[in-house]
Amino acid sequence: MTGKFKSVAAGLGLTLLAGVSTVAVTGGAALAQETVKLGILTPKQGPSASIGLNMAQGAELAVAMHGGKVLGKDIETVWLDEASPQVAQQNMQKMADEYKVVGVVGGNSSAATLAMMSVAEREKLPFISAGSAASEVTGANCNRYTFRAQAPVPVQVSAVFNELKDKKIYFFTPAYAFGQDVLRTGRSKLEGINGTEVGNDEVPVNTADYSSYILKIRKAQPDAIFGALVGLDLSNFMKQWNEMGMKGSIPIYEVAVSDTDFWDIGPAAATGTHVKPWYYNDQANPDREKEFVQKYEEKYGQPPSDKAFFGWFSMNAMIDSIEAAGSTEPQKIVPAIESWTYKDGTFPYYFRDFDHQLIRPAVIVKLKDQITDKWDFMDVVSWTSKDADETVAAFGTKEEIGCTMGDL
Amino acid sequence: MDILLSQVANGLVLGFIYVLIAVGLSITFGMLGIVNFAHGAFFALGAYFSYELVRLFGWPAAILAPFLVAGVGMVVEVVLIRKLYGKEPLLGLVVTFALGLLIEAVIRHFWGTDGKPLTPPQFLNGFVEIGPIFMTNYRVAVLVATVAVLVALWAFLNFTPYGRIIRAGSRDPEMVDMLGINLPRVFTGVFGLGCAIAAIAGILAGPLWTVSPSMAANAIMPAFVIVAIGGLGSFAGALIAGLTVGIVTAMTIQFWPEASTAAMYVLMLVVLLLRPRGLLGSQWERFE
Repeated sequence: MTGKFKSVAAGLGLTLLAGVSTVAVTGGAALAQETVKLGILTPKQGPSASIGLNMAQGAELAVAMHGGKVLGKDIETVWLDEASPQVAQQNMQKMADEYKVVGVVGGNSSAATLAMMSVAEREKLPFISAGSAASEVTGANCNRYTFRAQAPVPVQVSAVFNELKDKKIYFFTPAYAFGQDVLRTGRSKLEGINGTEVGNDEVPVNTADYSSYILKIRKAQPDAIFGALVGLDLSNFMKQWNEMGMKGSIPIYEVAVSDTDFWDIGPAAATGTHVKPWYYNDQANPDREKEFVQKYEEKYGQPPSDKAFFGWFSMNAMIDSIEAAGSTEPQKIVPAIESWTYKDGTFPYYFRDFDHQLIRPAVIVKLKDQITDKWDFMDVVSWTSKDADETVAAFGTKEEIGCTMGDL
Repeated sequence: MDILLSQVANGLVLGFIYVLIAVGLSITFGMLGIVNFAHGAFFALGAYFSYELVRLFGWPAAILAPFLVAGVGMVVEVVLIRKLYGKEPLLGLVVTFALGLLIEAVIRHFWGTDGKPLTPPQFLNGFVEIGPIFMTNYRVAVLVATVAVLVALWAFLNFTPYGRIIRAGSRDPEMVDMLGINLPRVFTGVFGLGCAIAAIAGILAGPLWTVSPSMAANAIMPAFVIVAIGGLGSFAGALIAGLTVGIVTAMTIQFWPEASTAAMYVLMLVVLLLRPRGLLGSQWERFE
């Protein structure tokens, strides 16, 4: 092979290589443009695994109900585990670095949400927490990229405390951020209802045996138990409460409960009056939510829990906002979520601009005395607030919340 | 004082359940030299099998669950565990840890992530009050059943030819092999026995704890703590350690509930600092 021919061949080869590379890059870009990635970060294991699955299923259904598309492109969901605050934080980082998602929905526990939202702020990743309730999420630790769907602890506690006037109360809360918030808030409201604290236990998460706690409560003889156990922890407690013959003896009031907490233990042990974000069989639910219930039952063979609802609701807000922004840029999505409004409710619900808290009342439910249906365990007693003005007032003022929102 | 007595009695019930889980783990380690991280998964499998049997045929059918779990355990021993004998201990830890995750994933696949309601048999409803001690009938039944299983196991290991083979094999497997005893078959049986005992604990715990995939994790850590405190491979050590852990946990709940799950680890730390082999751990020639 002559030197001239070698040069020509080499040049041809380089040209071909360059051409192939160009095609590959262009093809890759074309492929990348075909999907918009959205993250779902909920528990897949541990005591809240059931809650996490429900939340993810609700979010997936929201994608399906949007035709699987946003901005004319296919939506691709990435579901990672919120096993613990550490794991949740690592997976939030993965969402940003590896999967390049444009927004994340999830965050069931307050502790995990607080860990995830610091990544959201650093990576400029829009994040809607569907399940957390601790005040700090939209209070002292708030940031511009994080939104929260569930009513915060003070709203839920106030609703239950209306039922506890002049009573001797035993506080029974989980030993992490959310539980500590509930205990602190409950104690601060005792004087207002002329209540008395006769005992309290802060229970480590994932406790299997509650019999020793039940003996303590039995000895303290309260008029009511006010608690905030979550997931299987609440299920185990209720089950053992019933097994020890205590059901019906002392009324139990809980905040932030989920349907799965009771479905897991069956009708025999389910008891109490509780605050929860939503109930599938609430006659006041608007048509859009009734359609969601119908589609969820068709797809998953059972009614949606409140966690499924908030997975659906939060993913709807995220997709609607991306569509409204006309872009996947976080600096455009965040203002779009801030101005997003859910108009299908009794009155409009929205994420408040100064703390990113969804302004929407929760329901107060009572477990039926006779449960005959496999899923319908509860009667809706009332809502935490009745109209728009009352709801805004219940969620507190800017000064009370204490959020200093950063820039984009 | 009344509440303390009541808590001690309650702690004993919890301790006996822990003992049952730990004894199976201890036997598996003592005979096979395998630290079985999948033991909690067999405990959960026992609860799930009993849930299914009770749902289909009523409570008497739950007696089949330990046999079914033992069968699963023996298949696992032949297919997987057998290949770990005489190998690096770390390999056994990793493989059984993965096995535990696999069994949990299988449980999630067939039964889902949500909990399953399993309630005590009707005839055990109600409770007994003896002086200050308050206990439900079901917990008394758990106490009686656990003691019966432990006594039967002790008698089996000490007074039957099979028990003698197991005990001899746990000390010197080569010698037992040279005596013409089919050691691989004995190993399979021992692993199945360990799994069956874990399953019995799972059945008894099912109506107390919610039957869910994560119940495996709730069982395995106390079991390891008890085996470490009692001394690896020691039946009596597991019994003493299990009851101690149950009572310490109950008393911590009474006085410092936030520390109730940490209490057993502190106990383990203290025991191992004072006696690294555990309370009744002795020197094992094959592991030296």
